[in-house]
Amino acid sequence: MIELKDVHVTFNSGTPLETRALCGVDLKVPEGQFLTVIGSNGAGKSTSLNVMAGLAPVSKGKVIVAGDDVTDWPVHKRSKFLSRVFQDPKMGTCEDLSILENFALAYGRTAHRGFASGVTKEIRDYAASRLEVLGLGLENRLNDKVGLLSGGQRQAVSLLMATTGDTKVLLLDEHTAALDPKTADSILQLSKSIVAEMGLTAVMVTHSMAQALQTGERTVMFHRGKIVFDATGSERDGMQVEDLLALFKQQQGEELADDSLLLS
Amino acid sequence: MSLYEILGTLETGFIFALVALGAYLTFKIIDFPDLTVEGSFPLGAAVAATLIVVFEWNPILATLAATVVGFFAGYLTAYLNVQFKILHILAGILVAIGLYSINLRIMAGPNKPLLGVDTVFTYLEGFGVAGYIINPIFLGILVLIIKLVMDKLLSTGWGISMRAAGANPAMAEANSVNVGQMKLWGVGIANGLTALAGALFAQVFGAADAYMGIGVIIVGLASVIVGMSILPSTTIFLATLACIAGAILYRLAVAVSLNADFIGLQASDVQLVTAVLVAIALIAQQSGSSFFGKGKKGKKSD
Repeated sequence: MIELKDVHVTFNSGTPLETRALCGVDLKVPEGQFLTVIGSNGAGKSTSLNVMAGLAPVSKGKVIVAGDDVTDWPVHKRSKFLSRVFQDPKMGTCEDLSILENFALAYGRTAHRGFASGVTKEIRDYAASRLEVLGLGLENRLNDKVGLLSGGQRQAVSLLMATTGDTKVLLLDEHTAALDPKTADSILQLSKSIVAEMGLTAVMVTHSMAQALQTGERTVMFHRGKIVFDATGSERDGMQVEDLLALFKQQQGEELADDSLLLS
Repeated sequence: MSLYEILGTLETGFIFALVALGAYLTFKIIDFPDLTVEGSFPLGAAVAATLIVVFEWNPILATLAATVVGFFAGYLTAYLNVQFKILHILAGILVAIGLYSINLRIMAGPNKPLLGVDTVFTYLEGFGVAGYIINPIFLGILVLIIKLVMDKLLSTGWGISMRAAGANPAMAEANSVNVGQMKLWGVGIANGLTALAGALFAQVFGAADAYMGIGVIIVGLASVIVGMSILPSTTIFLATLACIAGAILYRLAVAVSLNADFIGLQASDVQLVTAVLVAIALIAQQSGSSFFGKGKKGKKSD
């Protein structure tokens, strides 16, 4: 469904600050697979997600989505296929618009936007039915501005918006990192159930090794701009954080020096 | 103030309400500080006056043509920003100063009098009511129609996309909104409205002048700020209404101040009055309430 072919990304090319963020990454995520991506700071995991979304320019290589070469497509054009949940709950929703208008915006991601009323009965019913599942009472606050919601509520709305319409690939960019542990867990469970119910292809970047191993059916690990570990099936089942760290040391010949990863 | 002066103030207030609606669209909706209006206001006047006087166009068609030309002036500013990444304020200044020379070329001089020719207001003479009464009524109806069209437009799927493009561009792009295209349309429409205001202003006061754009941006912004200080602007309908009310109140406040002989104010003090008025409006906004109530803002969830 989504594929990175020999992708290279270099920031500040030709300057003393030149940084090679991705060095020939090959990654193929088949339709319906839930992939988790792990790595320390600067490893390239977020850059790989940004490459998929069209936010990071590719120096070399190709990005393929549903058979189309989208490497040169701008973000808004790719969004017809790819939807995204940001790390910051404020980024995924528009606080100046009502909950309903946010849903109308998401509805138009894969449908035609025209000069008819943006908020229709169809969208109102759709938004209410999806919000009802959250059990937060948001279906009764459809006309409230999103800016009035808490971070957790906004991230839940953001997740529902990202899975509105004919979404093919869902990109989750450390989408629970800015939330308190309890809310983070509920958003993660919600993500899992939505991906499973809708049969979506999903890529989730996370800083938590435990979360990466407990979510989805495949985990890849980035280090210094390359994929150093790709586990799926029986190899991944039952794997613990300690196993992953040992494997990393065995393959790279060094300890993983990232407090945030080790503590999570 | 006499009734004549009040109606005159309303007439000017309604014209500048169009500038205020444009400023609302650029500054508040698409978050694009646009200075092109300093050039597009006299551009609208110059195009309308020249088409009416030199080319003997129908004044309604000439006014519409001025609006379209104003749209493209704004479009050019946004294009410089979107396509060539020129800072929005700088792009606006570049187009505005370029328009100064273009306006001189259009009018073949620094001004173009509209004496002894038909204007859009000539058609109103058929109602048998004095111009100083019928003109503000006509302008009020025109502004109301444009306000309602703008309200409707901003509530469509396209309009919601434009609002999102200004409020949260990254999120808008992630929802397949072409943010650059929204800027082109938004700045274009805003300058179309400003050029329309310029065209009407020239026809009301009988001349187009290359210098008539000086301070237009301040008037537009002041109107938006004053309007939103006195009225709640929680919905698009109320916000555009606040812009119109702000434009009228701004003109009224300026007129009253300059008529207040006992304080010793003179016509040359108009900029000082503007500054004080806007400062008061901004301080009122800081206190978090509008004059006629806070509006239904709701309670933030924990």
